[in-house]
Amino acid sequence: MQMNQNSENILSKDRRVLVIGGGVGGIRAALDLAESRRNVLLIDKSYAIGGLMTQLDRTFPTNNCDLCTVSPHLSQGGREKYLEIKPMTRLTGLDGEAGAFSATLMTEPRYIDTEKCTACGECAKQFPDAVRFSPGLDPRAPTCMRYPQATPFAFSIDMSKITDVEALKKVCKAGAILPEDQPRKTVMDVASVVLSVGADLFDPNVLDNFGGGQFDNVVTGLEYERIMSASGPFQGNLVRKSDGKRPKKVAWIQCVGSRGINRADVPYCSSVCCMYALKEAMVTKERFGEDIETTIFFMDMRTHGKGYEEYFNRARDEYNVRMVRSRPHTILEKSETKNLSIAYAVEDKSVQQNEEFDMVVLSTGFRVNCETKELAQNLGIQLNEHDFAESDHFNPVLTSRPGVYVCGVYESPKDIPETMVQASAAAAMAATNLPVSPAGLNGEDMFPPERDITGEDPRIGVFVCDCGFEIGGVLNVVNVLDAVKTRPDVVVAEPVGYGCSSESMAKIEAMITKHKLNRVVIGGCSPRTHETKFQDLLRRVGLNRYLVEMVNLRDQNTWTHMNEPEKAQEKAVKLLQVGIAGVRTNHPLREHTLPMNQNALVVGGGITGMTAALKLADQGIKTYIVERAPSLGGLARSLRKTIEGDDVAPFVQNLVDAVTAHSNIQVLTRSVIVDHSGMPGLFKTGIQTGVRMNYMQINHGVTILATGALANRPPQYGLGTIDNVMTQLDMDSLLADDPEKIQAMDQIVMIQCVGSREEGNPNCSRICCQAAVKNALKVKAISPDTEVFILYRDMRTYGFLEDYYRKARDLGVKFIRFSLENRPRVRQDDGELVVGTHDYVLDSDIDIAADCVVLSTGLVADDENTEDLALMFHLPRTEDHYFLEDHVKLRPVDMAQRGFFLAGTAHSPKVIRECITQAQAAAGRAQTMLAKKEINLGACVAVVDEKKCASCLICVRVCPFDVPFINADGVSQIDADKCHGCGVCAGECPAKAIQLLAYEDDQILAKLDGLFER
Amino acid sequence: MEHFEPEIVAFCCHYCAYTAADMAGSKRISYPSNVKIIRVPCSGKVDAIHLMKALEKGADGVYVAGCLAGDCHFKNGNVRAEARVNRVKKLLTELGWEPERVAMFNMSAGMGEAFAQVAKEFTETIKKLGPSPGRTGAMDKAAS
Repeated sequence: MQMNQNSENILSKDRRVLVIGGGVGGIRAALDLAESRRNVLLIDKSYAIGGLMTQLDRTFPTNNCDLCTVSPHLSQGGREKYLEIKPMTRLTGLDGEAGAFSATLMTEPRYIDTEKCTACGECAKQFPDAVRFSPGLDPRAPTCMRYPQATPFAFSIDMSKITDVEALKKVCKAGAILPEDQPRKTVMDVASVVLSVGADLFDPNVLDNFGGGQFDNVVTGLEYERIMSASGPFQGNLVRKSDGKRPKKVAWIQCVGSRGINRADVPYCSSVCCMYALKEAMVTKERFGEDIETTIFFMDMRTHGKGYEEYFNRARDEYNVRMVRSRPHTILEKSETKNLSIAYAVEDKSVQQNEEFDMVVLSTGFRVNCETKELAQNLGIQLNEHDFAESDHFNPVLTSRPGVYVCGVYESPKDIPETMVQASAAAAMAATNLPVSPAGLNGEDMFPPERDITGEDPRIGVFVCDCGFEIGGVLNVVNVLDAVKTRPDVVVAEPVGYGCSSESMAKIEAMITKHKLNRVVIGGCSPRTHETKFQDLLRRVGLNRYLVEMVNLRDQNTWTHMNEPEKAQEKAVKLLQVGIAGVRTNHPLREHTLPMNQNALVVGGGITGMTAALKLADQGIKTYIVERAPSLGGLARSLRKTIEGDDVAPFVQNLVDAVTAHSNIQVLTRSVIVDHSGMPGLFKTGIQTGVRMNYMQINHGVTILATGALANRPPQYGLGTIDNVMTQLDMDSLLADDPEKIQAMDQIVMIQCVGSREEGNPNCSRICCQAAVKNALKVKAISPDTEVFILYRDMRTYGFLEDYYRKARDLGVKFIRFSLENRPRVRQDDGELVVGTHDYVLDSDIDIAADCVVLSTGLVADDENTEDLALMFHLPRTEDHYFLEDHVKLRPVDMAQRGFFLAGTAHSPKVIRECITQAQAAAGRAQTMLAKKEINLGACVAVVDEKKCASCLICVRVCPFDVPFINADGVSQIDADKCHGCGVCAGECPAKAIQLLAYEDDQILAKLDGLFER
Repeated sequence: MEHFEPEIVAFCCHYCAYTAADMAGSKRISYPSNVKIIRVPCSGKVDAIHLMKALEKGADGVYVAGCLAGDCHFKNGNVRAEARVNRVKKLLTELGWEPERVAMFNMSAGMGEAFAQVAKEFTETIKKLGPSPGRTGAMDKAAS
């Protein structure tokens, strides 16, 4: 196909999806597509994929290190057979139409042959004179790896900074330097495009009042992340740039460049800065000293995500992060100390205060850059007033051009979990009408044949990660290894840095081969997250995947014993002894597979459930919707308008009609789930359906939970007892049904956070601030003279919702803040409604006469329902009774129980468009599982030693799944295909005739021996 | 006695207790480092012999941690585990050992705090009991 060196045309019958942008969103979308067997090309303008997330130190709300959570995704990206990655590549044109686009791509010269580059780093050592790594702080290398786990694992060179090309060539022993490298143009057929280009962060150097970039100790939030990061400029040591000393007093200033109308500001909210400031403040205290004073200057604390309010409470109450509600206007630098003086005013004191800090962090938000605007032009998509991609009101991943989908920050400012959801949704949309590629190699076939280790003595390699500071900051890894390297059969014991990075994996593989190892112990993070990765490593070098033991030195040691490093050290040695003794007894095991049921069960028939079902059904998947109510539609039935002004009813009706008419969908209303059995890929769920409650059983391979939440109606402020006290939902109806009644009103008072952010329901309901603003705007539209007061604690109009909040203020809606300690009081004076509250600006109590009081009551989890389902399906829930996803950051749609996916308000409160997105994402994720066609049951099954079996029937009786039976030979038989691998039979068998593979008695006893070896 | 640091083995089921332990880690909740976890697919896998052997080999206390009642990933493995722990308690009593040296706990995957709390309380209990008779040679006496 190659036409000449610098230009090629790729025409293919197997059309592919082009994903633009290699941040976490782009990677997720590309992986989803590849996993559902669609061909994907992922391009990124940068020299390595990973995007913004790879520069962060840790992520909220788990405060995990990012690299270790994202790197498995990245190298997974390197592995998928349907996925091709082109870094340093841009799109310059997109012709044609959806399904038959022709994309023109330009690839910049890298000056390095990625096939030859071994990433030894020699070139970086010899030519360390330019900046490309961390923003503004890390002067390093014209040849540059963005971070230790980079994909592709190769350097790139900024040729303009090299004067002596010959010297550079000589440095590279691998001969990978390509001084003559040229830009390359590629024209390619693509079916659809997913746009996940993210955004830049605002550069605060234009702000003279904050030092204009001249103050050493004023940094941006991202720079602060880099300073704290183990791969950052100070190797993870928190110090001031001016004197290299640790700061004692750090301040964060929120909304820098955001939520403003001054010259350098943008009016929208960037949605993530409150959370990242809280995280940075908490991590500062956690890692660098309890005694460091941390202060956050904020306007509204926007912690509206799932569980985020509790995170905020933790920061304030447990970490003693000081919260000051103020927008400081000036920072001055003290010339002698380089300390910083912040001038600010708080709301109840009119005088300005000055306070000195050692370091100031500016929480800057997202900005679309010029390159992205140019890209949008090349793509022919419309932009909104803030230069972000204009998207469909009900379906946020649709751009103005059919076939071009958008996800992540470029759609609107958002955090990583929401980006992940949207990425899966965009991938699901982009895969519509795109045929599945023929099945190629399955996972196992990509690996070399297994080496037979029968008869070999154990040769064990012990590899311990430092995981940056996560392990290495607490343990002395070398000493730990010294303590275990003399254990029997240990051949090598080596530190491996970030063990999950491509570099370390390659090193481990090389050592396995060199030392002819046949057992491996990895000391690092949890096997729950990384075991598969290291099992794959063993397969790559021809060893059976069950010859590795992971020892949890991080989650269960350094993270919990960080304040007792000596004890952590001692425990690490013992845990490694356990791993070594255990792995010695491991032997190769074979995994079992079964064909997978291709039907889907969607629980819940609201907008979320219907959207997910349609998406699946359109892909030819037989889908059942089980809804307990007599009709479809859910909570959206009681909603009239969205904040964008769209009518909800016709939208819901269209969905109902489409679902009802679809030949692949069976709708079961008035139906409840009564039993559930089977295993991922082969589920059986029993329901009672219809007026007569007939029993029927559904066989399905995947399950989507879309059970929604309940509209909250707490008996507060006279709701249910005083006339004219209503909820925002009631108001929404009133505005639609009886506008004249509104026109007759002089004053309306709305009260926020009713039944949310308080004891009993600690989290934020997310939807209420926008609901109040929506209804206030509608009141003003119907009756401009009606006064609207909104009593709030923090206005949480995140992202572009801020535009509506601003508009409401412009139209004269009065916003008055109250605190939880001093709540408004609703009373009746001579039959008149009066709301009393404290006005912090006037610093006095005021009374407001009201024709009606509207309570923003938000949502609560459907406790009874989620509890029943959680019990039946064995699913975890959060403390506030929503379903708990597998990983709050990276897997927000998948449940820990394989085959279960989660969407809509059953996950957490969210607005309709967010529910729709998550529904598409859940359908997409479900398809990645169904596309595998077969399920791997693993190797952990019970086996019977017939010679020992006394046919006592105990196993037959105790098995929770009725698998064992006494066969024709008169002994117990356990079919591997049916065994769930719990080991209850092995635990009960009196003759010890049953062993659970991978957890055999001698393995467990060996582990105990290892622990008590002295 | 004053510097007695007990050795404690916790058999944790993969789906709940082991995950709760990881959760305690990601929330940076500390608990005594005396507790060493051995992962099993289900608490119902833990055999009475594993508990006894752990004590024999040098543990001062052993516990099994599984899912909450009714929440077991494998339906009722945790109930079986509890019954077995109770059998071992009886056995220990017959041997003249403190039955408190073995215990069963239940927690869900999200309960990092509960994991740490259980680890703390159990460690305290064992500290009060002192070193296991197995360590001090009482095992032989009891067996004879």
